Amino acid sequence: MILIVGGIASGKRTYVEQLGFDGGSVDEGVLGTAPVLVGLEELLREGPLSDDRFELLCAKEVVACIEVGSGVVPLDKGEREWRELVGRTVNRLSDRADRVVRMVCGIPVTLKGVHD
Amino acid sequence: MIALVTGGAASGKSAYAEQLACDLSPVRTYLATMAPGGEEAQTRIDRHRAQRAGGHFATIERTGTLLGEAPTPQAASGVLLLDDVGNLVSNALFGADGSVADAGMVLDRLDAEFAQLAGAYAHVVVVGNEVGSDGVFFTDENGTWVRLVGSLCCRIAARSDMVVEVVAGVPYAAKGTLR
Repeated sequence: MILIVGGIASGKRTYVEQLGFDGGSVDEGVLGTAPVLVGLEELLREGPLSDDRFELLCAKEVVACIEVGSGVVPLDKGEREWRELVGRTVNRLSDRADRVVRMVCGIPVTLKGVHD
Repeated sequence: MIALVTGGAASGKSAYAEQLACDLSPVRTYLATMAPGGEEAQTRIDRHRAQRAGGHFATIERTGTLLGEAPTPQAASGVLLLDDVGNLVSNALFGADGSVADAGMVLDRLDAEFAQLAGAYAHVVVVGNEVGSDGVFFTDENGTWVRLVGSLCCRIAARSDMVVEVVAGVPYAAKGTLR
């Protein structure tokens, strides 16, 4: 599994396309059967993943998530918990990922694993 | 050596910084910057305490300043872990009475205090914070805090031998090389 993280509009989707996945093979914010999940942060709005659902995520070919922790601590408690959950979930996923890529201005920077 | 470990919220930066401190020396001091206040702060403090439990850190607490009693010669020969810049800045910038200090003066003071503190220990590991990238531009005291955290991290980075950003639990070196 390739884990892609990056800020809003950092080039995550374009990179998913470059990896060879078209729109039809991408689930958006829901845990479906497509090989790619974009929008992990939205999936986590419903709370932490069960172990089974986490394993489904690990079995994807690509998971992309917006990095949400690099700003001001939100005033709203629910937003703070969500932000914490997104960060912790991504850390667990990166442990399991073959490759971790961080998008910087459209450039895929490989943090773990090797570039194909 | 001086190392700055930065990252966003819940990026894994504290866990990495603690591991680095453990690798640097068996003699470890933890400088706590967080004034307990409320349930969430306590949860966070408890989690960090549990993370450090295996590492045998002596703890000193400083609120709003880095200066205090000089370390013992033994402590000075080891590593100091400072976690984190954001809390340090909060406590230095915001008074309990709701007052806000002059940001430029706080920056210069904390920078000078850090230089003195860092000189007193063989190794210092600092946990910084990435807080300037959420696309919201605060014009109030939150904006002052964001700028001050960023500026102080830049000052500390300039004094550091190694600067590491932790992203998704994975560290990479922005300055120097990972050890």
